[in-house]
Amino acid sequence: MTTIRMVDPAAATGPTKEIFDAVLRRETGVFGATSVSNIWRCMGHSPALLEANWNRSRALMQRGRFSPLQRELIATAVSIGNACTY
Amino acid sequence: MRLGVDAVGVTELMGVTEHTRALATAAAGLLLDSLESERALVAPLDPDKAEDPVGALLDEIAVWAEAAMGCRVAPMLWRVLAHNPHYIEATWRKDRALMSDGALSARDKRRTALGVAMAVRGRYLIEYTAAILRHAGDTDRDLIEILGVVDHYTTLNTLSEGMQIESDIRPPA
Repeated sequence: MTTIRMVDPAAATGPTKEIFDAVLRRETGVFGATSVSNIWRCMGHSPALLEANWNRSRALMQRGRFSPLQRELIATAVSIGNACTY
Repeated sequence: MRLGVDAVGVTELMGVTEHTRALATAAAGLLLDSLESERALVAPLDPDKAEDPVGALLDEIAVWAEAAMGCRVAPMLWRVLAHNPHYIEATWRKDRALMSDGALSARDKRRTALGVAMAVRGRYLIEYTAAILRHAGDTDRDLIEILGVVDHYTTLNTLSEGMQIESDIRPPA
């Protein structure tokens, strides 16, 4: 069970809502997500953390020479290596 | 896994991941600290003195190393494992089976392996895999791009484990 309550995207306002909207657009386009994923909703309690990690996500996962699939392969393997169940 | 990779691709990805972690553990266990170093917990077998089938296997690995890394010498890891013929043969055959082209390309598998080696801080495997990728044409920028994914996902993994976030990602129906 998640340690803290997750932020409801429908109740988000300001910069947090803007980032949630951008996350959903991105995740819908890449893998057909229908809602903001839980990892981003958890970060919503700290707008500074949410913004910093979203900016890093855009810089590291959305720009560069590799394809989205190539980056996702590495990301999945790293998550296994880090024993991350999410 | 998302982005349309089928069950075969996912299974290959798991194979690359566990194999890389296992090799990183073996290299660390042998105190291999650098691709260039000849120091190890156990002295390497001299390929010129190895009897078959180990000698033939080390020759095969040297031929592969020339094509993959530009140096016709079996890397230290394999020369040390050569003390146990069953160990080296089973591990080398597994390496060939897992790291060659399949549903995923050999290049993508090797880039993924570098990410795993970085994540588990396996210095020898980082150098080993980076040498293969550089020989195949990957640049500093490519290696940094892989590191960026490792870095970012270490962040996300830490957050999701620390907050015990429940997965909301489901396999396709």
